[in-house]
Amino acid sequence: MEISLVLNGKPITVEAPAHITLLELLREYLELTGTKEGCDIGECGACAVIMDGMLVNSCLVLAPQAHGSTITTIEGLCNADGSLSDLQENFITYGAVQCGICIPGMIVAAEALLAKHPTPTREEIRQALIGNLCRCTGYQQIVDAIEATAYARRHLAESVARA
Amino acid sequence: MHTHSLRYVGKPARRVDAADKVSGRGKYIADYTLPGMLHARCLRSTVPHGRIVRLDVTPALQVPGVRAVITSADFCDHGNYGFPVKDKYMLAYQKVRYVGEAIAAVAADTPEAALAGVRAIICEIEPLPAIFDPRQALDPNAPQVGPDRTDGKHPNLLAEHQYVKKGDAEAALANCDVIVEAHFEVGHQEHAYIEPEGVLAVPTPEGGIVVYAPNQSPFINQGNLAMVLGLPTNRVRVIQPYVGGSFGGKDDIVYESSAQCAKLALITGRPVRMLFSREESMVASYKRNTLSMDVRIGATRDGQLRACVFRGLMDSGAYASETPFTVWRASIHAMGCYRYDACDVDIYGVYTNNGYTGAFRGFGNPEVCFAIEQAIDEMAEKLGMDPIDFRLKNCLRLGDETVHGQKLSESVGLVECLTLARQLSDWDRKRAEYARQTSTEVRRGIGVAAMYHGMSLGAEGADYAAATITILPDNTVEITSGLTDYGTGSRTVFTLIAAEELGIEPSRVRMLRPDTNTALESGPTVASRSTVLGGNAMRIAARNLRQTLDLAAAHLLNCDPRQLIRHNGSYIGPSEEEVPWEKVVEHAREMGLILSAHGRWEAPKIHWDHHAGRGTPYMAYHFGVQIAEVEVDLLTGLTRVLKIWAVHDVGKVIFPEGAYGQLYGGIAQGLGYALTEQVTYANGYLQQTNFDTYLIPTAMDVPEIEARLIEASYSEGPYGAKNIAEPAMVPTAPAIANAIAHATGRRIRRLPMNPERVLLGEALQRPTTPEVTTRALFMGRA
Repeated sequence: MEISLVLNGKPITVEAPAHITLLELLREYLELTGTKEGCDIGECGACAVIMDGMLVNSCLVLAPQAHGSTITTIEGLCNADGSLSDLQENFITYGAVQCGICIPGMIVAAEALLAKHPTPTREEIRQALIGNLCRCTGYQQIVDAIEATAYARRHLAESVARA
Repeated sequence: MHTHSLRYVGKPARRVDAADKVSGRGKYIADYTLPGMLHARCLRSTVPHGRIVRLDVTPALQVPGVRAVITSADFCDHGNYGFPVKDKYMLAYQKVRYVGEAIAAVAADTPEAALAGVRAIICEIEPLPAIFDPRQALDPNAPQVGPDRTDGKHPNLLAEHQYVKKGDAEAALANCDVIVEAHFEVGHQEHAYIEPEGVLAVPTPEGGIVVYAPNQSPFINQGNLAMVLGLPTNRVRVIQPYVGGSFGGKDDIVYESSAQCAKLALITGRPVRMLFSREESMVASYKRNTLSMDVRIGATRDGQLRACVFRGLMDSGAYASETPFTVWRASIHAMGCYRYDACDVDIYGVYTNNGYTGAFRGFGNPEVCFAIEQAIDEMAEKLGMDPIDFRLKNCLRLGDETVHGQKLSESVGLVECLTLARQLSDWDRKRAEYARQTSTEVRRGIGVAAMYHGMSLGAEGADYAAATITILPDNTVEITSGLTDYGTGSRTVFTLIAAEELGIEPSRVRMLRPDTNTALESGPTVASRSTVLGGNAMRIAARNLRQTLDLAAAHLLNCDPRQLIRHNGSYIGPSEEEVPWEKVVEHAREMGLILSAHGRWEAPKIHWDHHAGRGTPYMAYHFGVQIAEVEVDLLTGLTRVLKIWAVHDVGKVIFPEGAYGQLYGGIAQGLGYALTEQVTYANGYLQQTNFDTYLIPTAMDVPEIEARLIEASYSEGPYGAKNIAEPAMVPTAPAIANAIAHATGRRIRRLPMNPERVLLGEALQRPTTPEVTTRALFMGRA
């Protein structure tokens, strides 16, 4: 079937079987391999994407359900010029990356959080990441990176508002 | 030549591969796709022990899309491999010994066709009596699981008993005023790397094979492949893509997949990729071994530890893998980081039909630390002493001799760890305050555990590493190491060391992917050995290269090399003119000098007498202390860890963000081991096959961690560095156990310390069924 969606800001149409998941659509039909598969049952969050503003596990979404939706994957979270976003830079600065397999999902989940809640506490950040498993980092530096990004964005917004 | 203070080592740094990973551009094994690539899948055993009486793959070859099917007959010597015990096969030969063992492998055009092929294979297995209780493994009439032995010992004995012996421990115990005697049990643990296993094999025009494998030690894989495929080593190339976590877990299981894919690729002439589902990963892969422990320690009334007797029985499961080494490391660390007059440790392992076990972060030490650190706590309690005071009174200090007979002449930071952890956690106030709690609903507790961990392989084997360094035509620097980075941060460590020694920005140094064609063999990437072994090798390589540049600079400046001053990579001669690094490099090229070098470092020779149980087991030790504060719900038994303080002596820190990351991550693994991670083999059938039942800690389970690193310099380490990866998780579970005991007065001597154990003192039995496992083996795309 034909599936049309807005993917990382661009309208696209792709021909794909009706029985596959959004994860398979992204990885195998659109060659966007930044979205990872860790468990295929919606437990680990490595396949997280933002669908119509909601954080979803793409392994639990059927590809046809994505028809007509707006989807953001890790590939859509860099700056427009392809450089790393402030959040991605902070993941590096704060040492939040080890093996890295969970990191795209973590960054997607963090952007979904910050879009809705620009001033989260550390506890709220942890709550927002509960669907994203990481086996390497113990989460602490991931929380550090998200907290620092929220803080910097808030300051930027305030200084823009003052100007 | 003048030296200067460090510019990159120990300073804030960016992980060299992080940009690839945060952008989603980094390629892991599942992200590789090649034109014409086939998809491979294994038929796996659904019985725990049996004889293969019929294996007919011809029906599978009739399935549309199936291109090849292999069995053990397709490998040299039936694919027999394994170190230190050569007891395993790339595909089962004659017998299967655990549920999930690979029997045949199918390559097909699609994953669906591969599964259809697997289902079409005719495989008849005659069930054999099996062993699930390790205590029965050495019964004279127990069914044989392990390989034949020629020394008259029971074939189900795994390798040998391992001993540590000092004096007459029984006699010393008899003279002690206070004895603590207790039995402890720790179960299997799943590595639970978020990336399941996978391999891609590509046949080469000259009849060789290139294997992309997320394994820890590509050279071991290469050696195995050459052996079972009957190829010369130079026709086998193993490349490590980014690895999505390993923790000891991506050795043997990935070597097997590598051999299967390689053979299928050689037969079909096409690239072959195999990807595990999470379920296949959980069922087929090896786990952390179990350990059943009986501990007796004795002390004098004034709090002097005198003697330790420690007995341990380890379940290795169906194959040895690296568990014989685990037995040894467990024995060395069993008595903990303390002085004793006498000590008697005896640990051994056995074969059973409960999956199989192998390397896992800590390698026996998290297991024994769970027991000894609770026993130490119980002793402090019996003596009426504060647990930290008791540890301070008995712990290893600079100049002490360990029970093994090793004099600790440098780099012993344990007292500093205990003292700082005590202070950071506000230990004394909380111990007193929580002791006065009267609530019958919720209580808090605070507990401590101390540990040490021998660095690198120790007397387990030859201990060396090699590195290369080259200045490329564009004046960037390319480095390689035979030790790999599967998330640990060692690429960044090596990059910082190369940059430091050459005096150039780390951004100008690029490390190649681990690749048997470009790197030099350096032994296995295990045992927290990369920083010290690989770091020293890199430092030597960089210094060898620098010597070439020094000669070129001296020639250029017309002076003696000893008159040169190096400043941020550039050179200053007697004329005080500063010549930039690039100009020296250019001059070296004009002189015809070769701008590459390699370095090799061998660890100091040490010796362990396995029979006497004495010697020098490791060149040096990491020391660490963790304190856990918990809140226990007395009505449900649920334990919440509120905070953890961790102070570890790691020697000189080279990559701070990486070192802290190892510590935080190790603590999270230790916390899961302590509270939620449970592997159940019900008559050999694994009951937890995905993250819905195997519960690893989430961001809400891991508390805020306050960590400090003590840098007790080690003279043989690069810049004084030691190790961090494994030790990070060792003391977490016992610290939590001791905190639970402080909160509730209840000692939990089994892992995991789940609500039922905390509340009732025993685990509740869940209904179990073989179908959980057998269904999992056929899951995935079909």
